[in-house]
Amino acid sequence: METQIRNQFETGTKTAPVSLKRKWPDKLRVIFSAVVKVKGALWGGIFVSMMILCAIGAQWISPGDPNAQDIVHRFADPSLKHLLGTDYLGRDILSRIIYGCRIAVLVAFGAVTISSIIGVLLGVAAGYNEGKKIDYLIIWLFDIVRSFPQIILALAIVAVLGPSLFNVVVALAFTAFPFYGRVARAQTLSVKESDYVKAGEAMGLERRKIILRHITPNILAPVIVCLGMDMATMIIWESGLSFLGLGVRPPTASWGIMLRNGYKYIQTSAWMILWPAVAIAIAMIAFSLFSEGLRIALDPKERER
Amino acid sequence: MLKYIIKRTLWMIPTLIGVLIILFSLTYLMPGDPASVMLGPRATPELVAELNSRLHLDRSMPVRLGYYLVGVLEGDLGISVWSGHKVSSLIAEALPHTVLLAVSSLGIAAFIGILLGAFAAIRRDSPVGGIVTIVSLLGVAMPDFVAALLLMLVFCIHIPLLPALGAGTEGGPVNMATHLILPATALGIGWVGYLSRLMRESMMDVLDSDYIRTARAFAVPKSSIVYRYALKNAVIPSISVIGLGVGKLLGGAVFVEIIFSRPGLGKLIVDAVYARDFPVVQGGILVATVLFVLANLIADISYAFVDPRIQYE
Amino acid sequence: MSEPLLEVSNLTLDYNLGTRKMRALDKVSFSLDKGEVLGVAGESGCGKSTLGLAIIRLLPRVAEISRGEVIFEGTDLLKLSEEQMDRKIRGQKITMIFQNPQNALNPVFKIETQMVDILRVQNKYKNPGTQKRRRDFRQEAIERLKITGIADAEARISNYPFEFSGGMKQRVMIGMALSSGTSLLLADEATTALDVTIEAQINRLITDLASQYGTSILYISHNLGVLSDVADYIMIMYAGRVFEMGRTDDVFGNPRHPYSAALLESLPGHQAKGNRLLSIPGFVPPLDRLPAGCSFHPRCRFAEEMCRQQAPPLIEVSKGHWSACLLDQKRGRQKWQWI
Repeated sequence: METQIRNQFETGTKTAPVSLKRKWPDKLRVIFSAVVKVKGALWGGIFVSMMILCAIGAQWISPGDPNAQDIVHRFADPSLKHLLGTDYLGRDILSRIIYGCRIAVLVAFGAVTISSIIGVLLGVAAGYNEGKKIDYLIIWLFDIVRSFPQIILALAIVAVLGPSLFNVVVALAFTAFPFYGRVARAQTLSVKESDYVKAGEAMGLERRKIILRHITPNILAPVIVCLGMDMATMIIWESGLSFLGLGVRPPTASWGIMLRNGYKYIQTSAWMILWPAVAIAIAMIAFSLFSEGLRIALDPKERER
Repeated sequence: MLKYIIKRTLWMIPTLIGVLIILFSLTYLMPGDPASVMLGPRATPELVAELNSRLHLDRSMPVRLGYYLVGVLEGDLGISVWSGHKVSSLIAEALPHTVLLAVSSLGIAAFIGILLGAFAAIRRDSPVGGIVTIVSLLGVAMPDFVAALLLMLVFCIHIPLLPALGAGTEGGPVNMATHLILPATALGIGWVGYLSRLMRESMMDVLDSDYIRTARAFAVPKSSIVYRYALKNAVIPSISVIGLGVGKLLGGAVFVEIIFSRPGLGKLIVDAVYARDFPVVQGGILVATVLFVLANLIADISYAFVDPRIQYE
Repeated sequence: MSEPLLEVSNLTLDYNLGTRKMRALDKVSFSLDKGEVLGVAGESGCGKSTLGLAIIRLLPRVAEISRGEVIFEGTDLLKLSEEQMDRKIRGQKITMIFQNPQNALNPVFKIETQMVDILRVQNKYKNPGTQKRRRDFRQEAIERLKITGIADAEARISNYPFEFSGGMKQRVMIGMALSSGTSLLLADEATTALDVTIEAQINRLITDLASQYGTSILYISHNLGVLSDVADYIMIMYAGRVFEMGRTDDVFGNPRHPYSAALLESLPGHQAKGNRLLSIPGFVPPLDRLPAGCSFHPRCRFAEEMCRQQAPPLIEVSKGHWSACLLDQKRGRQKWQWI
């Protein structure tokens, strides 16, 4: 789905002109009301908020300590004491899931923020200087990084730098920035031909002001949608890398690590695999629905419905 | 047409050069001394010195880059630090398994997904539409490795139906096929969901278009309209997506191969990462990347065959 | 010459959009003889395109015809099955060309392929059982292109649609739509999307070919200038109803309905230099909330109490000239001067 949206945006979509002058609460209200209208997006938004809550307040929400071992009661089935059962060291799975949520959200937000900022800056610079050397150079950079199958590049970077939370964020950010770059560039190309930009140029506004005040706000819409989709992807990759042992280091609870342990003991306990899988599934669906709603909210054509 | 192919192929060259440069510079990112890291616990000063000179790690950067590029062009990707075998032969051994996995999962997924989506668009009121939505949601919800784990849990452990590990090469084609079912399904589920949904939307758009209306106004037979006119337009987004998807597939293959212990490029790379066998990692990624780039090239070219407008952009 | 070619009586059509029901056509009635050109005029949304689609039965699923008849060459088209429409009517007796030639042809197939497909269908139904070869169809397609004035037809037929200009694409459509078997051509804003210079050429082409083949035309357009050129008769529609109908000279020279008069007065040509152009106040009502009585009365400068209470019927107010205005019917010939 993310590639479909990216494809659509890589040819540049028409977005309604946005001026930075309009108040933020006003814009948020528009987005909020539109998102609420699409029921799927509403549920997605609810679950995303729940995840963020878990991330911030894991220590208060979680029923127990994710690292507290209880060997006597390992591989326990779900019970009142351990709502989702225990793992191979007797640790409460539910607590680990909640703390794992924190890791997932941290990595996703971190990687997405870094890659989108870098990507957008480069993309706008390229788009505004279309046809000149710097444009070709930036496109070349994008194409090179995009040539790598993403997970493999992230794998290699983490392998070289050593597994840790920070390195995972860096590696994921590095593999993702070209996508934001291409979307930003395509949008810049279509926006810079618009009348309001030409009017600004005709009035003699400096380049920098044009880029900041007029171009950047208007290219943000597809970028924001990509952000939503990307977060879902980042969560998967963090889990994947951790599953391979190349991500967050144990004993930190990450869904990927939980799956890794579950895989080792697949013949003994189904719960160790099931619950992280469910958590990942819910997270994926939530982010997907939410960003789909965001896309509908930000597309001026659909807003009319 | 030819011009377009040549133009696209030529653009690959600077891109690949950039890829090589990045792969090359990965060694510089390693904290500590590369040779010691690679040798790990076996590192004695003599072995380290020997590795340093063999891998030219003690020379200056331009020289190392030169050795690297020349080696790659000759097809020499180095020697595995861990096993001593040539990297290129290790890869040559592993690659066919990955290709088999990728092709079978993508092929089946594409076939099922496109047909499903087209059918859901044509018969708007049938339950097929609901099936498409559910399957696509499933595909979104479960990334490859999660699907692989769940499939293994259900079909290997709880209902011991299918083999869990290995490629089954010893047992002949049928055995290989049974070993292929679960991995291919795990990889393919996401695709069936995505493609069928994409195809359905695309087909519905196309069926509403002006040129289909023209065909109907001139009484062109319904079957011709759907299977020729509409389909050819509607598959266009799917084809471009499939090209991009090979990259995702290669990534997913990594996990599926590890989980099901299948030999393949993905498992080779990850095992090499665990063993700090850097030449193998470098060579494996290079091959994976080249494959990815080639797949994109082929996808772009077939896209141009289907949609003749592309060449002129 | 007694039976009209096409006779539409009381055609009423709704669009069912779930919560809303839009009345797109309300008791539309008219007739068209062989060889005549009837222009259908009106603002956007008045139902003229819907009328064309209803005749050839290419309406979207949400459209529902609640009453009326469309009698073509003695048969009620509304009672025919899809299969019968395909077999006997569409693409042969009745053809339609649309507004936007840019999108009217399939972008991924060559012009030749699309034309041959259509010719093959036409041949299948006209002469069932004959086996023509692809080469023959190709030749016929080239002939059609030549007739519509496309230079170098032999070579250009192998092009893709994006290699043709808008005007050329419309010529292709005309070549397919007008042939010796066509009795009725529905032209829906056929030249609206084209340059003004091309527009004149294409309209000339349409009328020449039509008179050559004896084809009647239902020419749908909001452009009164074009209609005054090509149409013998003209029908003015508003919000799904027919307001005035008659010979073009009669209607343009002596409009009996205030709305027609307003349309004419808003044309640049109709005002002496220096006078203001008319712009009709208000806007076209949404089709699910039409005003009571005469649907135009809220905007009409001359409206009176009875206009609000009674929906005017379409009555022949003088020979061959019909109008749906109560004031006109009750008071006789008026000069509706808006400004």
